Amino acid sequence: MSETKTIETVNIKRRQVLAGATGVVGAVGAAFVAVPFLGSWQPSEKAKAAGAPVDADISGLQPGQMMTLSWRGKPVWIVRRTAEMLERLATLDDKLRDPDSNASIQPEYCQNPSRAIKPEYLVVVGICTHLGCAPLYRPAVGSADMAAGWRGGFFCPCHGSSFDLAGRVFRSVPAPTNLEIPPYMYLTETHIRVGEDAESGGQA
Amino acid sequence: MTSFLSRLSLVLAAMLLPVSMVFAAPSYNITFEKANNDIRDKESLQRGAVLFANYCMVCHSAQYMRYNRVARDLGWTDEEVVEKLAYNQRVTVDYMMTFMEDGVSQSKFGIQAPDLSLMARLKGNDYIYTFLRGYYLENEGEWEPAIWNNKVLTGTSMPNVLEGIQKHATPEEFDQVTRDLVNFLDYIAEPNKVERWDLGWKVILFLLVLLLLTYLLKREYWRDVKH
Amino acid sequence: MSDKNTNQTPPGGMLKWLDDRYPLISTWNEHVAQYYAPKNFNFWYFFGSFALLVMVIQFITGIWLTMSYKPSADEAFHSIEYIMRDVEWGWLIRYMHTTGASAFFLVIYLHMTRALLYGSYKKPRELVWLIGMLIFVVLMAEAFMGYMLPWGQMSYWGAQVIISLFSAIPLIGPDLALWIRGDYIISDATLNRFFALHVIAMPLVLVLLVFMHIVALHKVGSNNPDGVEIKKHKDTQGLPLDGIPFHPYYTVKDSFGAVFFLILFAIVVFYMPEGGGHFIEAPNFEPADPLKTPDHIAPVWYFTPFYAILRAVPDKFLGVLAMGASIAVLFAMPWLDRCKVRSIRYRGYSYKLLLTMLAISFVVLGVLGALPSTPLHTKLAQIFTILYFAFFILLPYTSAHEKTKPVPERTT
Repeated sequence: MSETKTIETVNIKRRQVLAGATGVVGAVGAAFVAVPFLGSWQPSEKAKAAGAPVDADISGLQPGQMMTLSWRGKPVWIVRRTAEMLERLATLDDKLRDPDSNASIQPEYCQNPSRAIKPEYLVVVGICTHLGCAPLYRPAVGSADMAAGWRGGFFCPCHGSSFDLAGRVFRSVPAPTNLEIPPYMYLTETHIRVGEDAESGGQA
Repeated sequence: MTSFLSRLSLVLAAMLLPVSMVFAAPSYNITFEKANNDIRDKESLQRGAVLFANYCMVCHSAQYMRYNRVARDLGWTDEEVVEKLAYNQRVTVDYMMTFMEDGVSQSKFGIQAPDLSLMARLKGNDYIYTFLRGYYLENEGEWEPAIWNNKVLTGTSMPNVLEGIQKHATPEEFDQVTRDLVNFLDYIAEPNKVERWDLGWKVILFLLVLLLLTYLLKREYWRDVKH
Repeated sequence: MSDKNTNQTPPGGMLKWLDDRYPLISTWNEHVAQYYAPKNFNFWYFFGSFALLVMVIQFITGIWLTMSYKPSADEAFHSIEYIMRDVEWGWLIRYMHTTGASAFFLVIYLHMTRALLYGSYKKPRELVWLIGMLIFVVLMAEAFMGYMLPWGQMSYWGAQVIISLFSAIPLIGPDLALWIRGDYIISDATLNRFFALHVIAMPLVLVLLVFMHIVALHKVGSNNPDGVEIKKHKDTQGLPLDGIPFHPYYTVKDSFGAVFFLILFAIVVFYMPEGGGHFIEAPNFEPADPLKTPDHIAPVWYFTPFYAILRAVPDKFLGVLAMGASIAVLFAMPWLDRCKVRSIRYRGYSYKLLLTMLAISFVVLGVLGALPSTPLHTKLAQIFTILYFAFFILLPYTSAHEKTKPVPERTT
């Protein structure tokens, strides 16, 4: 608003203060109004229920075998590794991008050479860290459908990323980091709960 | 401006008058007892929840309520709620579905027991309160066994499940039991109700501040306008 | 004060770049900053801006509801309870939308009353009135279709009754009703198409009509409680003496009004969202059941006056006709009223009497339409239906012979 003839009768200052105050309070109000609308995009109770921890009975899992769970709609693999598989893991460090899992996602208690609570059982989210495809499980060295020199592990058919049997990514493939390890805990010797661990005590 | 407020209020009041006249429908021939329940009373809700799980969920479900929601609102832990309401047979994120198998209700009572999630909003608290307390024995003494009927819903398929409590409790205790049950049904019909009440006055208070500011702003500008 | 806020300095920078390519400033000036409105608006003139505010509320909450709502017969009811319980803040968004529907009609009815009080439909504002009436009709369709979406018992049986009205039309009626439903009963197909119309088609038409309503209004200028033409008396700069720029005077006044309205709105949303069973009807807490009619079917309150007229006529087709006529006749107001004087302030007793009669009839019919049908209610509905139509039948005669008071030259 420019100067006007009524300038002597109009208290410009008062108008500015009032308009400013109204504007500020109004803007605060608008921000409050935005809260429910933005908040409603959060995962609903239904989504959270689907993301609740899942339990698995691993008593039937044979050495070398893998089972798949669904946790938050994502595949979670449990692999029972043989002693030979575990020995092989230690020999691969120089061929891996992140052998010590420093740049990868896992609970603290799984940042170890076998990336597991008990080395025998690997629990891993079966989603490639490149673009989210589901890798294939090819545990045998030199699997028939794999390229020569296959060392056993997971192979992503989308863009050819490969991981060892601890979910660690090999060098010179597109995937940037190791496969994610979800929070999990042993309820008993033969029961695993994925999505909840003893440390956080609640949902991760 | 005050004249504006008074006139607007008058118009709105005049509009609401006929609305208040139409409250009665639909009409029942009996007057309902007042439930006088209080959904802020968590102890009552907890008792009601246990009663609901033990007596109602034999046949009925609350298909829109999850155990963990009940736990959160009633002050239980996730472990407590499934222990108290489902004997650890359910997971906390489960819906409160009946323990009765599919089709049993239909074959035993000739009707699918209705879901109770929204019953309090459909029928009203007083209706349910009176219904729960409205069972009486028909043909008593004429033949055995006498038949239960209900003064609210004549010929209802629902048996008098609270008969045992009614026999062994004092009238005051029975009042409490039925009130707790109604209270829980009131709560599950709209679990956000308390949150709604508690948020509302804050919003209105905020708007009153804004109202004052906009009023001052309006008055300030309208000094220019000469009538 | 008339030359206040006329910003004559040419804009620079970004604003100039924009204004060279888009009529930004001229549009703002023409419709807001230099749109001169009469200075004597009273509280009746709030309802237009309230209506706009409610429309915005309905659009935003509506868009958000579609994000979680499922338009299928199997899922609709569940999805509403999903919104009410599982979606964060879903209950608030939904209550705003249901309350908004009732608020929309309350505001529109008061807005229309204003027009009847001060003759805002008269020359040269006939088009403003006609477009406004179209908005009203579209709004009724929008509300009716929206009411079906929760797929409760009242949604279902209300839709059943209303769509059956079309079958009363001779010859094509039954086929027309079948075509609207897309099935032999109200079904998933009906729900799905009503959803599309409710969330896309009708809102688009509504926005277009509201735009035209305002364009038409700004072409001819706003009426006022005195019904005088402010353009008749201008100052040396050609600005109306009794006019003030819409901005800032009416923007600040309407802001105040809007906050006042929002307080009433919040009271309903937070403390009486069911509106005593009139904004959300109790039978709608039970999922639609094609095999069981609720004990008492009543439309939502804003339709009850027309529903009462429908029930007052003991013949199906004539009833539908009477109901249609009760709305259609309003379109003719600019031509039924032959009095030269606009405002009720200076009109004769006949118009005051007739308008009071119309208002009372409308409200009483509204109450009757919500009550169960009994012989007494039907009789009353018939009397007040006659009184309702009597307004429009008598008006051309009485308005032509009305003893009016002298109208002032300027606003008072």
